[in-house]
Amino acid sequence: MEGLLAGNDDAVRTLYARYARPIFTLGLRLLGSPEAAEELTQDVFLAAWRKAAHFDPARGRLSTWLMTIAHNLAVDRLRRETGVRRPHLVFVDEVPDVAGADEDEHVLERDAAVRALASLSEAERRLLARAYFGGLTAREIAEADGIPLGTVKTRLRTALIKVRRANQDKERPA
Amino acid sequence: MTCPEVRELLPEHAVGVLPAPEREAVERHLRWCAGCRKEAAELAQAAAIVGFALPPAPAPERLADRVVEAVHAAIGPRGSGRRLRTAAAGAIAALVAVAGLGWGAVMAGRAERFAERAARAEQRQAEALAEFRRVLDRVVPGTDIPQQETFLGQLGPVHGGLGGGAVLQLASPTRIDLVIVMVSGLRPEAPDALPYRVRLANAAGETIRVGRITELDADGAADVIRQFPNRELAGFTEVTVVDAQGEVVLAGSIDQVPGN
Repeated sequence: MEGLLAGNDDAVRTLYARYARPIFTLGLRLLGSPEAAEELTQDVFLAAWRKAAHFDPARGRLSTWLMTIAHNLAVDRLRRETGVRRPHLVFVDEVPDVAGADEDEHVLERDAAVRALASLSEAERRLLARAYFGGLTAREIAEADGIPLGTVKTRLRTALIKVRRANQDKERPA
Repeated sequence: MTCPEVRELLPEHAVGVLPAPEREAVERHLRWCAGCRKEAAELAQAAAIVGFALPPAPAPERLADRVVEAVHAAIGPRGSGRRLRTAAAGAIAALVAVAGLGWGAVMAGRAERFAERAARAEQRQAEALAEFRRVLDRVVPGTDIPQQETFLGQLGPVHGGLGGGAVLQLASPTRIDLVIVMVSGLRPEAPDALPYRVRLANAAGETIRVGRITELDADGAADVIRQFPNRELAGFTEVTVVDAQGEVVLAGSIDQVPGN
């Protein structure tokens, strides 16, 4: 991180090697084209460099900090380009595949993410994916599924808290 | 918006689907409410973990070079820390110009002396910024203070009193926040009023001490400069100058809307 602060080539490349793929993947999923995903990846590293002084390791991990920047930038871009009041994300009716955890995977964060999602019920996992990757608001999900808005909001909160707890449990020494 | 109302919306905020009006209201609240900000950060971290769950797609080979070049280009030439000083001086000039508009009565015949004082304040502010620049040069070389992180405000007398003032605030998510308060027209012949205390407050009523004025010149003028290395000033828009008796003598608001 110190290296990123100084704009050191090796440091930027190291961070890139570790995080560019998941960021590019998110861009591809949300923005729908490789060109847009490339631009997003570049913007994320630039934003990370600009905000580097603001990153506080005590308040969160570098990986989640970068992914938050990526998701915010992607959603902002969609809002800007569509000129609507809420994001119209590319909705892919697909929930991340929990069974794929043991595939050839060198990104530790993905392993952690898949395990955290595995701690959710099928319904919670699907709800989270529809909101985070699909851009559906709680109201839209409530209307589509014919369930009360309050229930959707509560489930979304519960799902996020479960993901967080599962991730903390993983980090805690055995 | 109350804390319970905000917290109900935080999960949607964390996954980026909160519609604009609510999102803006939530973000306004988060600027000053540490409790809700903590919960927002926790939910956002959880959401970010979800972002890593996608089966990874290969990024193009050339992208690594492009990213490294982009970071390089953004750093710019070494030694451009000087730009920071220029930006700060520009902000001070704007401060004086803005303040001058509303100060007619107070500043009549004093404009010249005030300009000298502003120049001295600029010098002192440059000194105060030295440490700030040193840190910035190490952390983000060649940085500049963007216009949208520089805010101005005016102070006016309370309860039919005398005097006025101006405030320059740097409230930035990425830099060390800083406040400069310049006052004039207070009563130098009323030593009981000293020391004056300068405070910032937010909408929730939380206050931050900016500093004390222990001396006024013949024009009843003084300035206070303070950096806040461990604190963000976003949301702290209400400025008061209180005399030794606890009476508010000057008050005003900083307009923290970027671009104004």
